[in-house]
Amino acid sequence: MRTRIVHITVACVFLFLMAGLLNMQLIQGRKYGELSKKNRIRLLPQMGSRGRILDRNSTVIVGSRLSYDVMILPQEARELDETLERLSGVLGMEYGDLRQRFSDGFVSSSIPVILVRNVNIKRAIAIEEMKFELTGVLIRPHPLRHYPHGKIASHMIGYLNEIDRWRLTKLSDYGYKTKDIVGFGGVEEKYDYYLRQEDGGESVEVDRKGRFVRVVGFEPPRSGKDIQLTLDIRIQKIAEEALAGWKGGVIMLEPYSGEVIAMASSPDFDPSVFIEPSSSSIDGIFRDPDAPLFNRAISGLYPPGSVFKMVVAAAALETGKIKPSTSFNCPGYLAIGNRDFKCWDTHGEQDLNGAIAHSCDVFFYRTGLLLGAQAICDYALKFGLSRPTNLDLPYEAAGLVPSPLWKKISRFKKWFSGDTANFSIGQGDLLVTPLQMARMVAVFANGGRLITPFVLKGVEGKDVSAYQRKVSGVFLKRSTLDRISHGLKDVVDDPKGTAHVLSGLPVSVAGKTGTAQATGGLSHAWFTGYFPVETPKFVICTFLERGGPGHNACLVTKNIIERMGKEGLL
Amino acid sequence: MNRAGFQVLLIAVVIALLGVLSIYSSTYQKEGDIWQLIYKRQAFWLILGLLFFLLMYNFNYRRLWDWTYLLYGLAISLLCLVFILGIVRLGAQRWLKVAWLNFQPTELVKLVIIIFLARYFSTKSADDVSLKNHNLGIFRGLIVPLFFVCIPAALIIEQPDLGSGMMVVFIFLIIIFRAHVRLRYFFFFLAVAALSAPFFWHFLRGYQRDRLMVFLNPNVDPLGAGYTIIQAKIAIGSGGFFGKGWLSGTQSQLHFLPESHTDFIFANFAEAWGFFGAAVLIGLYYLLITRLFSIAESTYDSFGRLLAFGIASMLTIQVFINIAMNLGFAPVVGLPLPLMSYGGSSVLVTFISLGVLANISKSRT
Repeated sequence: MRTRIVHITVACVFLFLMAGLLNMQLIQGRKYGELSKKNRIRLLPQMGSRGRILDRNSTVIVGSRLSYDVMILPQEARELDETLERLSGVLGMEYGDLRQRFSDGFVSSSIPVILVRNVNIKRAIAIEEMKFELTGVLIRPHPLRHYPHGKIASHMIGYLNEIDRWRLTKLSDYGYKTKDIVGFGGVEEKYDYYLRQEDGGESVEVDRKGRFVRVVGFEPPRSGKDIQLTLDIRIQKIAEEALAGWKGGVIMLEPYSGEVIAMASSPDFDPSVFIEPSSSSIDGIFRDPDAPLFNRAISGLYPPGSVFKMVVAAAALETGKIKPSTSFNCPGYLAIGNRDFKCWDTHGEQDLNGAIAHSCDVFFYRTGLLLGAQAICDYALKFGLSRPTNLDLPYEAAGLVPSPLWKKISRFKKWFSGDTANFSIGQGDLLVTPLQMARMVAVFANGGRLITPFVLKGVEGKDVSAYQRKVSGVFLKRSTLDRISHGLKDVVDDPKGTAHVLSGLPVSVAGKTGTAQATGGLSHAWFTGYFPVETPKFVICTFLERGGPGHNACLVTKNIIERMGKEGLL
Repeated sequence: MNRAGFQVLLIAVVIALLGVLSIYSSTYQKEGDIWQLIYKRQAFWLILGLLFFLLMYNFNYRRLWDWTYLLYGLAISLLCLVFILGIVRLGAQRWLKVAWLNFQPTELVKLVIIIFLARYFSTKSADDVSLKNHNLGIFRGLIVPLFFVCIPAALIIEQPDLGSGMMVVFIFLIIIFRAHVRLRYFFFFLAVAALSAPFFWHFLRGYQRDRLMVFLNPNVDPLGAGYTIIQAKIAIGSGGFFGKGWLSGTQSQLHFLPESHTDFIFANFAEAWGFFGAAVLIGLYYLLITRLFSIAESTYDSFGRLLAFGIASMLTIQVFINIAMNLGFAPVVGLPLPLMSYGGSSVLVTFISLGVLANISKSRT
């Protein structure tokens, strides 16, 4: 009896062992297989460099350079305190600080802790030379954004930073991960997909102590693609320097294709601040009341003032409400309803040409009233206002063109003749971006076509500007264009023209000034035009936020054209 | 050599050779001459073991009856000697240095206790030829033999070697069960042991408590006491059906699995040879153990029968606890897998025990 119990027990015991073995090796085998792989495979990342950004002449605007991180591998650092002590000497840092960084960054003994980022090459070499005294200390080179021209074109380029939650949710399907460095604003954001590098790495087999055994796999890091912009860095520099000290923006376009040759916004920022994050300087950028990150050239919305008159003139000529010979008397004001609408001067008898050249408000009040608000609105839309220009940069503003219907819907108010008068001289609710104004004047420079501005000229050496160029058909009569162009030319050439200050330049300039009233404080100063008049090569829009009379914008423009002439860029 | 004895020897040698292979593989990647020599040493012990097997096979086991008290005295004095002259390794004082080799007396003591108990429970009175165990009172049936078992058991536990100490108590339990001591004493002992368990908890050392705790949940301390259990499970589990191949087990070759040549040699083996190999190994052990039990059952001499039964039980318990420990079913106690694990004393004593059994099997006919 007891013998049988013993026998059965022994059999049960072995069955139990077999069952355990079966469960572990066959049923849960896959899980344990994964665990054993995780045990022995480590990934050592190798970083590729982000694509460079070149200007139209292939000058590097933004490049990459190698930077060095000092890391420590906890499992190999035997005398940690001593090692940190020695390191603090080499790096010129407090021991306590290093110690703190180590304990903050510690994850597991096989994962290196990054102690200091972006050490200069001299210190990196010094640490490499002390390798035997500094056990477990590693130097990892990695490419870093490099801005050889400093702050130049900062708004157009944008900056790099760690991906935020909003972008991550949007982009996670495209392989973006937390802690990725991505572009914010400008080309860096818009063409992040091209510029972005793919980090590769080695998967190595390690033993229990994390010591290297053999390489299992290698995925080479892939560098991002270089992209070429339509920007000319020499002109960009001139534009930025001319704008220095003002708030505002300068845009220069190629009038036929829409290539953006320069785009400056002031105040600007230093994108390299984001590379070496010291929170105080970044905070400074974000807290600055002048909003240096804000690209005034494409995101800023302002009333255009007299610059808008070319739209009204074009509408009136096209619809036949006025003839080129039509003239109105300007006594310095016009009474509409029970209000006097002032002109900035007393011009007397003015025809269209004179009215554009002298920027006579009364002439345009009358023209506007003849046209009616809806017709002005229609032509404003034809000139591409009230919607983004489709420039290939993010955060472009749409602007606003008011109309009686719009007023009724959004303000619940009736449209008055006074509104039409204000509208006719680019005041009231009308809002535009400097880029829209440059595009608007380009219509007169290129013979009646609405262009789509763009900044991307090529990717990885391949010219893509042919795909970028989108130009509308001619939508104005030849006679209309000639009339208004003549007026724009007289703005400069006429001794009483509002931009006569631009007449003595090596090239002939045509354009229109604007002094836009803004609530409280100084007015905004505008100048938008093109040069050379005979064969236009550049369209320019200079805008000074709270810059006073339009004359100031002319002075900035003059400065730019003069320097371009000196440097042989015309 | 008779048939049963030959079968036992054959199976034991096959298992021991698999052990040498596994020891070779577990030390294959390790640097240093000591590690490279280890499988050769094991082969040497195996040959020595075979010699002792033959020696015991030709040595009448009845003489052990006569020498019982002498052996018992020797065992106690060896255990005491360990305390005085023993070598401390891995925090435990278990080894005696004899000439150039280290010997672990505990292994021998287990065999001696079996001989002692076999003799104690096969004593017959002059006027009654039948065994009187079932008539023994609680004093002579339980307390006296327990006293004689507790002296060496306490000395072993003090080394400290909780695993072997518990082994001795288990062997005692199984032998009194088999020797037809009254069941009520058997259950009485079990009840007392269970009730006093919380009391003994306080006598356990810190690391022993840790081991018991991590046995319940290895993730309490995955890098400390639980590490070995987790790594052993990963090694066994990742073996799959056909295994990773000899010398290709990553858990063992890259040293994630500690003690892969001693206590965790089963995990090492199962990783390399998979379910297929491990099942064959367990099958071999089962075959060996059933052989041993059948030798015990077919012996008419009550001393020989109890002796054979005790040895068979000892091997069963060791095999079971070791494999269960590898699979994570038993707490980690320092018990080797008989015939497989590296260790001279264990191999030698196992072969001596098997030799005694072969002799019993020879003598019964």
